[in-house]
Amino acid sequence: MRATLTRVIVLAGLILAAMSFALALPLRIPGVTVFATAPAGSDGAVPYLPALFILGIMLVFLAAVVYELLPDRSPPPWPPAGAGRRR
Amino acid sequence: MAMRVEPLPYRVGQISTGTLLLIVVLLGVVAQGLYAFSRQLTEGLVVTGMRDIGTMGGPAWGLYIAFDIYFVGVSFAGITTAALVRLLNLHALRAVSRLAEVLTIIALILAAFSVLPDLGQPLRGVVHLLKYARPQSPFFGTFTMVIAGYLFASLVYFFLDGRRDAAICAARAGRLQWFYRLWAAGYRDTPAERERHRRVGFWLSLAILPMLVIAHSTLGFVFGLQVGRPGWFSALQAPAFVIMAGVSGVGLLIIIAAIVRTTLEAQDRLTPEVFRWLANFLMVLTAAYIYFMLVDWLTATYAAPLHESRVTSALLFGPYARIYWPSVAALVAAFYLLLRQFLTGRYSIAVTVLCGALVNVAAVGKRLLIVVPSQTHGAMLPYPSGTYTPTWVEYSIIGGLIALGTLLYIVFTKVFPVIELPEARQEMGHR
Repeated sequence: MRATLTRVIVLAGLILAAMSFALALPLRIPGVTVFATAPAGSDGAVPYLPALFILGIMLVFLAAVVYELLPDRSPPPWPPAGAGRRR
Repeated sequence: MAMRVEPLPYRVGQISTGTLLLIVVLLGVVAQGLYAFSRQLTEGLVVTGMRDIGTMGGPAWGLYIAFDIYFVGVSFAGITTAALVRLLNLHALRAVSRLAEVLTIIALILAAFSVLPDLGQPLRGVVHLLKYARPQSPFFGTFTMVIAGYLFASLVYFFLDGRRDAAICAARAGRLQWFYRLWAAGYRDTPAERERHRRVGFWLSLAILPMLVIAHSTLGFVFGLQVGRPGWFSALQAPAFVIMAGVSGVGLLIIIAAIVRTTLEAQDRLTPEVFRWLANFLMVLTAAYIYFMLVDWLTATYAAPLHESRVTSALLFGPYARIYWPSVAALVAAFYLLLRQFLTGRYSIAVTVLCGALVNVAAVGKRLLIVVPSQTHGAMLPYPSGTYTPTWVEYSIIGGLIALGTLLYIVFTKVFPVIELPEARQEMGHR
């Protein structure tokens, strides 16, 4: 579960970064709606693409937090550190 | 279970009179910087020494951008050291790992702040950057991806790496216990958690290393891709930026480690062995940078185009020679001292710290010389040469930023162990 969710977040981040990078290219591709109106050398096809690109990069690294913080569904097979130690 | 009331390690939570005095002085410098920034906001960039290139004989980028590059450079060594410690199992450097991570985060915050005063309308600049900038542009890479992506990655690494120590601190009663509990986020130091953290640390390090090489190269591309600016357009800019970033960052890390060693009485953790590693690391990086400098000299003086020669001449013999030669001398002197230590095998912490200071003086000088001369002496149109003298406003803002960085570092050392706690002290009593 944890590993799957982490992979999904990493993938989502990479896709978001790659898509916003591609959409920000100053291209004019006939037939492709988002590119059709953007004359070469203009701003990106959609506003706030740079922000989405950054968000994508952040998501990739956020996956590490999710992986490490998400609690286990079942207790770990090992005893906790210091178990049996007198306190 | 009952909370143990015992002092936190490395003088966390203890503030001496000397520290308080230092904090007051630093706050004064920060206030002066804020005042200068308010003057600049109300009167405009005319209160600085920066002017339009060519028509007004000035550079459009000055001290702010030079220090932006310097701060981003300093951040390099921090997370690199931390990541290399993790990836290569460099146990000798484990004690400086957190010192390095904090250095990276603070340096990146300062880098973000040092760009803002360079913009006439800082808020508009930030919003428009997120709205219209092109992710393919080196400017975008430098001012947003480095600061947002790289800073975020460093914060994630730092947060996860500090959870174990936060859990240890949370086991002791005190005013900051809530903070440590929050940071620990339920960490219990079970074998499963340790294994998970080891795995995450490895992959994070692996992801951060290429990202920071890209980030620092991007900073070099801001200059290296400008074909119409003699002195900047060069394939060497990106790798030289990466190397100089390493030089200044490792140099500053050495200085910070020495200060922490003395003030927090951490001689048992920050051993001469740690400084030996850092000194050798710095020596290799300094040697690489001197090599880049020699290649640059040879290319610029052998058969350079007219405008390129003008910039080189201004650097070597003109108005910038008084910054250029001392910077070169500082780098060479540091390299000589480090090499001598390496060859004789006799390492001295004092000499290593001196080398750290020398390379940082050189780094600031070199950063200024990368930014300014090409603008004042590199015009391809027939404009007379320009000049640049920073004003009190620029000095105050940069001074304020350095003071802010120092203040943040001091505050951090007072709320959290700045050196990773040794394994033997693992006692998760807060469960």
